[in-house]
This record gives sequence, structure tokens and C-alpha cells, in this order.
Amino acid sequence: MTTADMHSHMPRTTRDIGNAWDRMVAKRRLYTLIGLAILLFAAVSSAQYADEANAGHFFERLPHLFDFLSWLIPKDWADVWRALFDIASPNHTGGEEYNFADGRVYVSGSFYVPEYFELMITTINIAIVSTIIGFVFAVPLAFLAAKNFSPSWPLRMFSKRVMEFLRAFPEIVIAGLFSAVLSIGPVAAIIAVSLHTIGALGKLFYEVIENTDMKADEGMRSVGGNWFERVRFGALPQVLPNLSSYALLRLEINVRASTIIGAVGGGGIGEELKLSISRGFGAKTVALMILLFATIVAVDQFSAWLRRRLVGEHAFLLQH
Amino acid sequence: MTFELRNITRRFGNRTAVDAVTIEIPQGQMVGIIGRSGAGKSTLLRMINRLTDPTSGSIRFGDREVSSLKGAALREWHRDCAMIFQQFNLVPRLDVLTNVLLGRLNHRSTTLSMLSIFSREERIMAIAALERLGIEQTALQPAGTLSGGQQQRVAIARALMQTPKMLLADEPIASLDPLNAKIVMDALRDINEREGITVVTNLHTLDTARNYCDRIIGMAAGRVVFDGQPSDLTADAIHAIYGADKDGAGIDESMTSTSIKTPDAAQAAGALQSAGIQTLANARA
Repeated sequence: MTTADMHSHMPRTTRDIGNAWDRMVAKRRLYTLIGLAILLFAAVSSAQYADEANAGHFFERLPHLFDFLSWLIPKDWADVWRALFDIASPNHTGGEEYNFADGRVYVSGSFYVPEYFELMITTINIAIVSTIIGFVFAVPLAFLAAKNFSPSWPLRMFSKRVMEFLRAFPEIVIAGLFSAVLSIGPVAAIIAVSLHTIGALGKLFYEVIENTDMKADEGMRSVGGNWFERVRFGALPQVLPNLSSYALLRLEINVRASTIIGAVGGGGIGEELKLSISRGFGAKTVALMILLFATIVAVDQFSAWLRRRLVGEHAFLLQH
Repeated sequence: MTFELRNITRRFGNRTAVDAVTIEIPQGQMVGIIGRSGAGKSTLLRMINRLTDPTSGSIRFGDREVSSLKGAALREWHRDCAMIFQQFNLVPRLDVLTNVLLGRLNHRSTTLSMLSIFSREERIMAIAALERLGIEQTALQPAGTLSGGQQQRVAIARALMQTPKMLLADEPIASLDPLNAKIVMDALRDINEREGITVVTNLHTLDTARNYCDRIIGMAAGRVVFDGQPSDLTADAIHAIYGADKDGAGIDESMTSTSIKTPDAAQAAGALQSAGIQTLANARA
């Protein structure tokens, strides 16, 4: 397009520009109104559907939404802390509701790790191991899948399909499958979370790799480097901070995932939480939830700090 | 060994970037390629190095048919035909010494390279290359923190590590200030004279081409329109290469010049330069 015909499309006077702008704004407002109307319609009709699906009791029962949580409130709040740190409770009269001291894991002498902390560590370990395994497999797959580094088209398609397949199934489905084969336990959880992590990280990784500045790679090609050397020196130094940042983000997600998988038999704190909820042990459940909440906040804060160190404030723009 | 291009053509879609170029370059010549932006200079240079593949035509170096090389043989050609880029193309996060050592990649085992394990001899060789270019004091800094002129000298040191038979430079001084441009061009001439390596460089300043090159090739619209010695580059030849401006006047050479001519500027430059040039001069002596 030459400059001459660009000018012929442009409004010539100030009034023309003003009118054109008015029309543009009016159109934008119309679209916003239409969008809001659709949203309102969807909200009303889905509420109605929910009401009908609940045999008409949805709105009627709504005030009782939190009733079932009342059992959570412990008779003695001190029991929450006793449950957390495995301190013997005066309420203990046999049975499992207040047998806090039984869970102690002795390390040496009278020094013990409270049961819930040990379970939390198991869950975090599952997350860490899975993230590392996922990272190790996702990096080569991502380089095969990235348009600018893939050695060949069939390999690229193969790698992309493999990663799509792996992330298509939620961790909990894979965990269910593997716990049927390998019996219940952390190994099934690790395999499940790892497989999903390979697929999820691989996709993020190859998008990062496709956005790399190719100047260093061109330099490596010009000295006669082969594919491995191009990846190692042309791309890795540039993408590694971003890849690590994504891996840390994935670690946060995996802590949650391995907790949930625990509830379906993957071991760790999730299993204990599910048991305690199903038996209605108020103090234990509250203690577990406090620990879980504190841990997840701590992991998130730590990884956010580390990611900021790795890639600067940019880390949070990349998040989506 | 003579380097030959025969009817080299490159098309991008239906646009012809380089149109049937035939050139012969004897070993040891310093050649400058000039022309307007988009005349096909960069494409031509990249085809010589085979970073871009020619659509048709043949490239020969001695008895090696460069235009049909593949795989390992092609990587060996990349090694033998070193290239320097306008944007330096270093690995910015790696230190300068490692960047220079990467020039050895094609001479050594991939496994050792992947682990960044280099021999003592290679390290000595790399430090010598840095010393020759007068930037050994930057060896431990990340390459991305260096100034443009320093980065370009690191790139030249990396090219030297390839022990090339030919050195291509794609606008090596286009993003440098006049003083650094002089240092870089002096280094290229030094390599050409001392090692007898053929140097082919794209330039956008006429006076640089005149001052440094044995031979100047002028390109316009993908074709070679001038090929001769700097003294043959008359006003008519320049008109043929660059065309005329919209008033029909030719190009005023001083417009594109980046050399330091005025007496006091030259003096100031001399003082600044001594650090970089002195090392080069010493190395040459």
C-alpha cells in the first residue's frame, strides 16, 4: 500500500474524525449492552435450571448451605492445636477422634515429627518428584515440538500429540488407573502427576522456545554446531529462566494435585483429610485444613519469590 | 582455493532477492559488497555460508560443491566459512570466554561441548584471540553486558576459533559508532592480511569500502551492477548502484560516511583508540 491510497481512506477534517470516533464508540457500547443481556439471560436461566434439577428445593434450601459445616466446630479449640502437634488430649477416652499422641513419628529419642507434618511432607515430596520428572521429559519433547528447533515435521507432530494426550487426562483419572494396577500409594500418585506435568509443561515450554530470539541460534549454526549444540547454547541459556519459572508454577499446582490424589488413595495428607472428614472428626479436620492452607500459601509465596528472582517482574506477566 | 558463484538465484515467493549472480573470488582477497537496502547483499552472503539455501545455481569452493552439502558436511562448511553478523549473534547470558570457545564446536566432541568442558589448549587459544582483539579484560563478563563494539570483537574472536578458510561479515559495522567501526574493520583487514583468509563483507558506507577493500562489488535489485577496484568506482558507477534521489542528484559520499575526519575529532579519537588499536598494532608487529 502506498502512502497516497492510505491517505484517501483517512478522514480529512477534524469533524470527520470526530464523527467517526462517535460511531465507533456507539458501536462498542452496543456490543457491551448485547453482551450484558446475554450474560443476564444465562444467569437467570441457569439458576432456574438448578432449581428444577433440585426438585424445586434450590432457593428453599439455600439458607442451610453452611449447616453441615457445623460439626467442624470443635468442642474445645485447644484440640485443634493438640491434633496438629500430636499432643495428648484430656478428651481422649479411647477411639480415634482424640488419639492425637498415637500418631507421633519418633525420629530419635523423644524427638518426634507430628503425624500430619509427616503426611504433608509426603504430599510435597510427591509434588516435587513429579515436577522434576515432568521437567526432565518436557524439555526434550518441547524442543522437538517447537517450530524453530524441531528437526523434522513428523517428529514435531509426534511430540505435540504425545503432550496433548498426556495432558488430556486429569491427574485423578490417571491416578485411579495406576492405583488399580500398582495398588494404592504414593508411586501411583507420582506417576499420575508426572505424566500430566509432562504434557502441561511441555506445551508451555515449546511456546516459550518458539518465542526465543534466534540470533544466538544463528550464531551457533554459523560456527557449525549440530542440533544438540544449538539447543544447548543457542536456546537453553535464554529460555532456562522462563522454563524454571513455569516449573515452579507447576510445583504449586502439583502440591494441590497430589493432595487431591491422596484422597483417592495416593497417600499423603489428602488421604488423612478424606478419612477425617468422612468420620466427622472436627478438631482433626480443622487442624489438617489449617496445615494445608499454611503450606500452600508458603509454597506459593516461596515460588513467587524464586520466580521473581529468576525472570524479574516479567514472571507474573507470563502467568495465565 | 578459488571461490566461485555461478548463476546463484534466490526467490522468496515471487520476489527475486538475488538474480543470477556469477562471481569468482581468489583466495586472500578482501571484497566489499555495497548496494541499497534490499538489493540482496545479505541474502547473497547468507547463501555463501548456506544459512539460506539458493533456489538455483552453484557455489564452489576449490573442488567442494558447497550448494549441495547436507548434514555433517554442511556443518563443516559452516565452520570453514565463518560469519559475523550485524547484531553479533553471541549468547548474551554466557561469559565472553565461553562464547569464544563455542567457535570450536565443530572441531570437537558434542558430549564434551554439552558439558562445557574445554581443553587447556583451547582456552589458551581463546584468550589469545581475545588478546589479539584487545578485549581480554572482558573475558569473564556475560557477553550481553558488553558494548556493541566489544561484542563484535568477541564475535570476530569466535570466528577466528573456527580456523576458517573464509570470513563473511554481514554489515559488521552498521550498528557501531565510528570509532568502534574502525577497530572492527582494522581487525578484519588484519585477519585478511596476516592469515590470508578471504574476507567478504557487506557495507553500507562507501568510504569504508574504498578504504578497506581490494575489490568492490555493487548490487542493485539482486544483480551485480559493478565489480572492480575502488578506483573504478566513479560517480556513474555509484549512480548505477544506488540510483538517484528524487531530485535526480547523485549520492553525496560524505552523507553516508562515518569516518572521523575533522582534525580535533581525530585527535580525541586517537587518544581513545590507543587502548584498542595499540594491542592490534602490537600483535601485528
